[in-house]
Amino acid sequence: MKVEGRALPWLLLAPALAATVLLVLAPVMETLWLSLHDVILYRPRSRPFVGLANYLALLDDPAFWESLGNSVIWVIAAVSLQFLLGLGAALLLNRQFAWRGIARALVIVPWALPSVIIGLVWTWMLDFNLGILNQVGVRLGLLDAPVAWLARPDTAMAAVILAVVWQGFPFFTVTLLAGLQGIPREHYEAAAIDGAGRFASFRHVTLPGLAPVIATALLLRMIWVANSLDLILVMTGGGPGTATQTLPLYAFLRAWSGANYGYGSALAVVLTLMLLSVVVTYAVRSARERSA
Amino acid sequence: MKRRTLLAGATVLAATPLARPHAQKPVTIRWWYHFDDPKMSPAGLVEQFEKQNPGIKVQAENIPWGGGADYDTRLYTSIIAGIAPDAAMVKFNNLPRLMEMDALAPLDKQIDAWPGRSDISEDLWKLHRAPDGKRYYLPVQFVVLYLYARQDWFAQKNLKLPATFADFEGAAQALTGGERWGFGLRGGAGGHDHWCSFVLGGGARLEKGGLVSPEALAANRWFIGLYTQKHLFPPSAPNDGFQQVIGNMKAGRTAMTIHHIGSANEMTAALGDAITAVPVPRGPQGRGWTTFGDGSNAILAQGSNQEAAWKWISFLSTGEANVAFNKLSGQVTVTTSGAQHWAFQPQRFMDATTASLPIAATLPPTPQTADFTRTVWPQTTQKALLGQITPDDMMRVFEKHFFG
Repeated sequence: MKVEGRALPWLLLAPALAATVLLVLAPVMETLWLSLHDVILYRPRSRPFVGLANYLALLDDPAFWESLGNSVIWVIAAVSLQFLLGLGAALLLNRQFAWRGIARALVIVPWALPSVIIGLVWTWMLDFNLGILNQVGVRLGLLDAPVAWLARPDTAMAAVILAVVWQGFPFFTVTLLAGLQGIPREHYEAAAIDGAGRFASFRHVTLPGLAPVIATALLLRMIWVANSLDLILVMTGGGPGTATQTLPLYAFLRAWSGANYGYGSALAVVLTLMLLSVVVTYAVRSARERSA
Repeated sequence: MKRRTLLAGATVLAATPLARPHAQKPVTIRWWYHFDDPKMSPAGLVEQFEKQNPGIKVQAENIPWGGGADYDTRLYTSIIAGIAPDAAMVKFNNLPRLMEMDALAPLDKQIDAWPGRSDISEDLWKLHRAPDGKRYYLPVQFVVLYLYARQDWFAQKNLKLPATFADFEGAAQALTGGERWGFGLRGGAGGHDHWCSFVLGGGARLEKGGLVSPEALAANRWFIGLYTQKHLFPPSAPNDGFQQVIGNMKAGRTAMTIHHIGSANEMTAALGDAITAVPVPRGPQGRGWTTFGDGSNAILAQGSNQEAAWKWISFLSTGEANVAFNKLSGQVTVTTSGAQHWAFQPQRFMDATTASLPIAATLPPTPQTADFTRTVWPQTTQKALLGQITPDDMMRVFEKHFFG
């Protein structure tokens, strides 16, 4: 009976574990293995073991460092702006007003759209000749002349960040809104009795109440944004030049377009190791929350 | 004795497949294709073929193109995984890689015995010979890139349609102003075709040292300077892709651009008689270069139904079937008989296509070519257009990419 009792959780977990091993662990190990070989897709008979040569090569690769720098800008700007916008929207949607239900439903729309569609929509909205942003900007006198947002290295990154912020802020809105609804009303009433104004209530009641949700949402979103490449691929392909080429996009281009799976895998492994620190933080945090 | 022989003969006969007409299973071949317009379906052609060949079923699989990279990589991975289709549409730029993988079945014997061979011009057969002298590709469609021009604007300014680089630059300058630009450059992926016309046509050569020769560097400096110094292309040119270039032309933002007959109907629907086409202009030495956009079918070596696959792909390259095929693909028939009654685009665009043939060429079939067109060319050219590197640096990157 004891053995049965011990085996039962494993038995119940077995399907999920098997799927994880098959669909996650095995591809990760395969990627690690590929990264130690010179794998050119169209030379299937020649896959020499090169040890850490791919990793050493990327240390001397200016495109790697540039992509890494772009990734840092991309993640920090996108996640922080999504968070701020999402928090603002959540606070608004937590108030009572007419048609609130519809507003709550509508805010989720960008999150529900496929990235490719969002990329195409924003590409045309930002288009130099035909885009609505330039048309409206020029007519309202906000712009002297149309701007080639996606073709200028000083605006291209900002333009793709704008698109990903629009796509991703509903995640924060929905998550934080759920968190806001979990803060007991009595805490606000107690703060009001103590003479706290709106800002003080926000600082001493809302933010501490939301802190666990904010931390989890930020960690999750950082991982997603750091890994995402679809929006950039559709909008700029990493250009102009390499102005918007992030690390996952660079890995994708080297592996998928350049057919160099060895080097592409090494890039992917490096990105994974960097994200692992965030993942470990998230896992530790989740474990702590569960035990609490 | 006689009776015994007859009985023995009958037994042998009964054991042969000939005696059992229903024993043979129909063969199903998988064929990968891509049309620019995803709404187009080859179902009608498949039905027609299957009626003519009752023992063969064709499973046509539409594979996403993704600028060529998606299609090619899917093909390579299917070969490595051992699940390649029996036949697939292919282009020159993936021939060296497919050859290196030993993935293609040579078609020389079939082509030599094929009645349709003489209906395809010798020029096309020459272009379709692989570096090892064999033939792996059966031509099914082609286009030749030409120069679109707003003839109404040219007439208003009393300009002649450009035949030389000097004509081209003069016209582009005259037609640039306000929210209008002389030439719509495709600076994003696929734009190497534009660059090739002016830089390879201007003196660069795709051979060792040929991209950094004085003529090559001069041609490239001139071409990049049209954007960086003379501002004859829209500011968005470094990132413009196919949709933007065609959209700008249709919206009256650009006076000229380079594409092929595949977009002729779309252009005339938007601009009517105001749009025409001429061969791309020639360089100072009278040299010209335009992209020959090939399209072929190949049979994959690992397939077990090569005979049936040949029947299918040769059907697609034959007379009326090839005309019907190219009506779907939006390109041009490879058959001489089909070209005689070609009426799917206005004649002036077909004339420009034909007139461009003498300078039509392809990039060299090397393993580096695909990566050049997909990644190296757009990234490097964009940097030169934005002034992040010099035009000469740009050519040195290309030379290194191809020749080390």
